[in-house]
Amino acid sequence: MSDVTLASGRLNYPVSPHARRGGLHAVQRRVGILMLAPAAIAFAIVILYPFFQALGLSLFEDTLQSIEPTFIGLANFKAILADPETWNSFGITVIYVGGATIGTLVLGLGWALILNQPFRGRKALRALTIMPWVVPSTVSAFIWAWIFNSRFGVINGIYLELGLIDVPKAWLSTPEGALIAVILTRIWRSIPLFMAFFLAGLQNVDQEQIDAARVDGAGNWAILRDHLLPHLRPVLIVVVVLGVIGGLQDFDTIYALTGGGPVSATSVLSISVYRKAFEQWDIGMASAMGVLWVATLLPPAYFYLRLLIKKGN
Amino acid sequence: MFDLSSRTAKLVFGVSILLIGFYLFFPIYWMVISSFKANGELYQVLPTFFPRDVTLAHYWSVFTESQLGLYLVNSLIVSGASAAINTVLAVYAGYSFAKYRYPGRQPIMLFMLSAQMFPFGLLLISLYPVLTSFGLLDTRPGLILSYIVFALPVAVYMLYSYFTQVPDELIDAARADGASDLRIFHTIVLPISIPPVVTVFLYSFMWSWNDLLYSMTLIVSEDKRTIGPGLLLTYLNETNADWGGAMAASLVVSAPIVIAFMFLQRYFIQGVTAGAVK
Repeated sequence: MSDVTLASGRLNYPVSPHARRGGLHAVQRRVGILMLAPAAIAFAIVILYPFFQALGLSLFEDTLQSIEPTFIGLANFKAILADPETWNSFGITVIYVGGATIGTLVLGLGWALILNQPFRGRKALRALTIMPWVVPSTVSAFIWAWIFNSRFGVINGIYLELGLIDVPKAWLSTPEGALIAVILTRIWRSIPLFMAFFLAGLQNVDQEQIDAARVDGAGNWAILRDHLLPHLRPVLIVVVVLGVIGGLQDFDTIYALTGGGPVSATSVLSISVYRKAFEQWDIGMASAMGVLWVATLLPPAYFYLRLLIKKGN
Repeated sequence: MFDLSSRTAKLVFGVSILLIGFYLFFPIYWMVISSFKANGELYQVLPTFFPRDVTLAHYWSVFTESQLGLYLVNSLIVSGASAAINTVLAVYAGYSFAKYRYPGRQPIMLFMLSAQMFPFGLLLISLYPVLTSFGLLDTRPGLILSYIVFALPVAVYMLYSYFTQVPDELIDAARADGASDLRIFHTIVLPISIPPVVTVFLYSFMWSWNDLLYSMTLIVSEDKRTIGPGLLLTYLNETNADWGGAMAASLVVSAPIVIAFMFLQRYFIQGVTAGAVK
């Protein structure tokens, strides 16, 4: 019995009601596993099983024409890698995720630094900032579609007033305009979360260190470069990793705003996979493309896990 | 943090706050005032930045002519149920990870957290036939179960990082008194964990409430349609673009979740950023 108490470390009470049968340790282990079980089962059914199922489907021909899925090895991958549309989708994904992450990083950090200064109305401004992040994705698409509207959009209105254009422009009908619009919408939606992370990171900056640096003659820029940014480095990494994962996963806003178009100008991987699966019903090809999509998610996911493990130790 | 006594510093600060603030809040402002403008004023090439006349006509039409009320009820049922399931699952799993030690704990935990790398769209491809074979396609239970995908990993992590902060002494003391583990959890730990549990509920709720992809694909019948696809199909089709109605409906579906988050924002930010900052 003394073994049990020793093994469990900090639980140093020798007489436990559980100790008689099987030992305290074993009972506790069982309780722990029991508590985990429901979530683990749900996880296996709705996430794990579909995931491996989709990996498997990428090796089959499974279209509307095929009666039964037939095993065709890597043929789907060959077809997909030979298709210029795939590479187009990859390129757009890189621009979309890269542009959105960098934009959000700069503006989110800037906004956090601003809201970290003491001024009147700061609290209210902080509370209001959460809005773009929590409005439904369809709503954010509506708002930006209306702002970019080809005839009555406010962007056209401002440009006309300023004399920058003579006739209203159909922004969302041009490839560049549509891509800029989806990136701007993504940045708008993600600033609040990035800001929250940076603001939390700024809370535990050592104020005395800053004051000392200031006495030594450091200006605002030097404080930012030599003290705040190095201090925020861990947060910066987390935010970039989460931003990239979120960007790669994003579907709703793009779909509602442009539907992946015009033609396929904003067709990021998520949209391409969806179109292949649920518009063309080519499940095999869609899964193969999905596997490539997973490959893009692996590096940021790896970094994310490493951060969690580091923190755990 | 910064010294704003110099003129340049003031200027940089002022310009930045105006520019970023405009980017963040103007779209919201634009949605709100567009929803109150009459059509004549709404459809002008040179728009008005303060509405000349305020009308509730769009709100009236949203509730009388569209199915928005139905979509709201559907979303409420589906989001509420999936958030409840998610929260219950995550509460126990998070506590188990935080306070128990058993073989496989660490790998299972990391595996669950890594679920963010499984693309939602890819999972949908196989969820679709799975739900079909169980007769759950185009049903609310099917959609509710599928929504576990979105929020469970982060919910587990949020509660895990909260529960690790609950002092072991509290639990050990109750154990010494002979209370069972489940009893300790239900009567001692849970009552002091209401804020994080509510936060996780709200987080899960938000994912389902805001979703378009899953409900658009897994629900076909109009009578079960939720707000995401409902709004899209009602207001954004080629022939009929009723922007006043779209903005009014947008405001109606956003208001509940925005208000809830404003109230709980403090807990929420703590929960989401937990662990990332250190």
